[in-house]
Amino acid sequence: MDLALETKDLAVGYGGRPLIREICMQIRRGEIVTLIGPNGAGKSTILKSLTKHLQTISGRVLVEGTDLRTMSCRRLAEKTAVMLTERVSPELMSCWDVVASGRYPFTGRMGRLTHADEQIVMDAMRTVNVLELAERSFAAISDGQRQRILLARAICQKPEILVLDEPTSYLDVRHKLELLGLLRTMARQKGVTVILSLHEIDLAQKVSDKILCVKGDRIAGFGEPAEIFQDARIRALYGLDAGAYDTAFGSVELPKIAGAPQAFVISGCGSGIPVFRQLQKDGIPFAAGILYENDIDCRVARSLAAETVTEKPFCPISDAALERAGQLMAGCERVIVTDFPIGPCNERIRELLNKIPAGKLHRTV
Amino acid sequence: MKKRILAFAVLACWCAALLCGCAPSAKKAASDTGAPEIAGLTYESTMQLQYANCFQIYRYEGGYDLIAVSDGRNYLVIPEGGKTPRGADGYIILQKPLDSIYLAATSAMSLFCALDRLSRVKLSGAKQEDWYIPAAADAMAAGTLVYAGKYSEPDYELLMSSGCDLAIESTMILHTPEVQEKIEELGIPVFIDRSSYESHPLGRTEWFRLYGVLTDAEDEADALFGKQAEIVQSLSDFQNTEKTVAFFYVTNSGTVSVRKSSDYLAAMIELAGGRYIFKDLGDPTTATSGVTMTMEEFYAAARDADYLIYNAAIDNPLGTVDELLQKSSLFADFKAVKEGNVWCTGKYLYQATDVLGSMIQDIHTMLTGDGSQTELTFIHKLS
Amino acid sequence: MPTKESDEARLRQAGRRRRARYALVFLILLLAFCAITVLNINSGSVRISLPEIARILFRRTGDAAQVSIIWKIRLPRIFMAAILGGALALSGFLLQTFFGNPIAGPFVLGISSGAKMAVALTMIWFLERAGNASSAALIAAAFVGALLSTGFVLLLSRRVASMSVLLVGGIMIGYICSALTDFLVTFADDANIVNLHGWSLGSFSGMTWDNVAAAGTIVAVALALVFALSKPIGAYQLGEAYAQSMGVSVRRFRVLLILLSSVLSACVTAFAGPISFVGIAVPHLVKRGLHTARPLVVIPATFLGGAVFCMFCDLIARTAFAPTELNISTVSSVFGAPVVIFMMLRRSGRD
Repeated sequence: MDLALETKDLAVGYGGRPLIREICMQIRRGEIVTLIGPNGAGKSTILKSLTKHLQTISGRVLVEGTDLRTMSCRRLAEKTAVMLTERVSPELMSCWDVVASGRYPFTGRMGRLTHADEQIVMDAMRTVNVLELAERSFAAISDGQRQRILLARAICQKPEILVLDEPTSYLDVRHKLELLGLLRTMARQKGVTVILSLHEIDLAQKVSDKILCVKGDRIAGFGEPAEIFQDARIRALYGLDAGAYDTAFGSVELPKIAGAPQAFVISGCGSGIPVFRQLQKDGIPFAAGILYENDIDCRVARSLAAETVTEKPFCPISDAALERAGQLMAGCERVIVTDFPIGPCNERIRELLNKIPAGKLHRTV
Repeated sequence: MKKRILAFAVLACWCAALLCGCAPSAKKAASDTGAPEIAGLTYESTMQLQYANCFQIYRYEGGYDLIAVSDGRNYLVIPEGGKTPRGADGYIILQKPLDSIYLAATSAMSLFCALDRLSRVKLSGAKQEDWYIPAAADAMAAGTLVYAGKYSEPDYELLMSSGCDLAIESTMILHTPEVQEKIEELGIPVFIDRSSYESHPLGRTEWFRLYGVLTDAEDEADALFGKQAEIVQSLSDFQNTEKTVAFFYVTNSGTVSVRKSSDYLAAMIELAGGRYIFKDLGDPTTATSGVTMTMEEFYAAARDADYLIYNAAIDNPLGTVDELLQKSSLFADFKAVKEGNVWCTGKYLYQATDVLGSMIQDIHTMLTGDGSQTELTFIHKLS
Repeated sequence: MPTKESDEARLRQAGRRRRARYALVFLILLLAFCAITVLNINSGSVRISLPEIARILFRRTGDAAQVSIIWKIRLPRIFMAAILGGALALSGFLLQTFFGNPIAGPFVLGISSGAKMAVALTMIWFLERAGNASSAALIAAAFVGALLSTGFVLLLSRRVASMSVLLVGGIMIGYICSALTDFLVTFADDANIVNLHGWSLGSFSGMTWDNVAAAGTIVAVALALVFALSKPIGAYQLGEAYAQSMGVSVRRFRVLLILLSSVLSACVTAFAGPISFVGIAVPHLVKRGLHTARPLVVIPATFLGGAVFCMFCDLIARTAFAPTELNISTVSSVFGAPVVIFMMLRRSGRD
């Protein structure tokens, strides 16, 4: 088993005091491992310790079998490239200069780039789509563009291990996707091992092979996304309220409004979602029904509604459900009905619709 | 890395220490073992000095002289047209005629003027407005004496192009050794005037005779020196009045600078018939002439002095007692102030080496006079 | 549709433009160097005509006094101004890169204060006891003092991780040395330290060929070493963290950089006293002129620029109010400060 990186009982921290201890992980070549956890948990601390920017306190880090402590910075630079959160503000450097500095470990005594080196730099810039910025001053571009230039720099260092600390922080959604797509390609096609930390846990879920949860003074979990991304674990990791993060879609919702429901929403097939959100924004507690458990409205309603009346998938609506829905409806000031298809399965919803008191009905078009 | 730094530091210190040891060495210790042997010259006589002990002049046949100064520098003076003798190595050669002199020792100017040898001095270390000796100021105005930069920043090019053959410097040059080295590198010999180290005031004046040797004016020198010596000798039988005199000035920072008890000024006061207020003040072995003390200390020591003489050579001359009181109100308590015996020197003091005897006379007049004379030659009474 | 070839062509063209700019700047610097050298040789309190000067220089014949003036007075001074000016600019460049701070100068680590303290000690101690000290002693003292403060800064850099803390530490050491010097001055006689103030204002007067040889050797070695370090210096421009990730041994590099810049500024302080502004202004001017910060180009250009600037300031110092000589620091500040302000305004205006 060829491990790109392995840590054994690693303890990291500042000034000799351990912040996180007993870190044990094994990362195979070509894997993407993402560190997630609350602010200040120590994600950057771990990453800095892996790149020798911070001295480890105890335990061992093995980079392709070699102990990190015995490795010189030079040797590490030939294997590992980084992208840090620190703001870089070099004077009078063009973007080309910044990217070309990635070839540093491989250039000669005076640091001059050969033709081959220049090709590599150009290719790296082309891959990240920043070639048109080559002649512009690094100081004169936007934060997002800078982030991509620094990524290009890391790429042209041709690393076997790429360590990135919050690489998507300044990027818009398109560039976030591009960057992560790029990382995925590099991992899959070139066998580059990628270790990164992300705040966007939905992206982490989608791009990673393994997830490392950092919380408290020990690792809260290390495993595959399917294992880690369970509602209860994520809630505990980030201290979230129930229903605020949906692990199935990786979507977040603002907290539900507590209280007796003042509105009742009858919807289905996704048509209720905008209504739920609007009611939540307006601060109105509401109830929703009758929603099949496999309906996408149901998942969102569970997060946002005070109470949701559900029915098992592919079954006709039961009496119990109708009754409960009727009770809730009676207690509400208004009933909102969206436009959703009614078919053989949910025929009985018409009964509910007929029960709506006049004057309370609102139809959304 | 630490070791390397330490090693380098030690090495540097050692080098510094070594280089510091380099002082101009005398070939033979002249001043105390008698006249040195110089190959090619025959010893004739040694000049008999009355008061000076900072120099010695050995005379050789043919007009050759060896001037040995107490700092270890020995100058071999070669007469006009004379050849350099075989044994001249290790001596600083002064080839007569010395007629293009750069004078940066202001105390020597009065001697040159009195000897009527001002024409020998072509380059001056002080500007025209800084000369209080009329002859010097006039020469500068006329252009026969040119300003060539002060002792610490001489105009080397001017020295070279004027064919300067001797640079007379005061001991201040020791603070800027690189200037001395540069002048010597250019082939101009440097003579350091150490007359301020003479303990007896007439010892200073006796340097007349040294400069007389350098400028072929020995008879005039002897005559002038003799006159000054006479004045002092006439006072030698005088019974000391036992009146105490303090000589001082107030610095910019409010402290008081007084002369050491071993300084020649204290001796002048004693010769004039007074007592210098401070006994055993200052270390006589060190090179400085003065001691700085706080106003309180001066007050404690000199409050009961009979006379106060303010040294205006550094500061500006005072005209009235009020000006003194402006410097510190404590002066109002001084006995001398209450009795109206406060005097002040003119700025001329340091440039008046030629007439120190007359100055002693002035102080004598101050001590013994009836108080009616307020404007003496060198000191005036504050009103 | 941007193709590989068109990209390459575009970049190649940009590269050509860049190189042309470098060539132009170097040409201007060299011309300025030659012009100012000629002006310097030609000016002094003694008028010597140009043909006469040429004869003295190339055939070593002529009036003895004039030969001495040219060879012993003017030439060593010119060489010294060039060498020390280049050293100052280089030292300033190193420290500005290292600290990422545009106002870092060669004396920010307390070099001149340390040297001044050592010189004061030497003046007081030697002149008090022995009565005299050679100029070599004062030079050696200044060097030792400067390197002692460097030593302290190096010790500090081992314990300290952040650059800004190190900068503060260096400034503090400077203050401590100044305080100690003032302490010494209080107890010293006026006569002994009368020239301490004059020393600390800097002067090129009275340079000898020995001085030139000594300073020249030290500076040449330092320049060669700095040039050999072009690669790590370039890496450092992205900050210490990235430099380390590229393989630069940060610990060792810090020490080397501090040591080199200190040796350069110690050299200047020892031979000519502290000269302000050359080390701060010249690297900025050169980098703006070249429009790049690449060490391979900037290092020689900075050295040359420093030499030119310093020789120019020396020329003004000597001739502006002849025969009085101005302090070199006065002149360099008068010329250096406004230029830096102008450059700063232009840059912030553009950003």
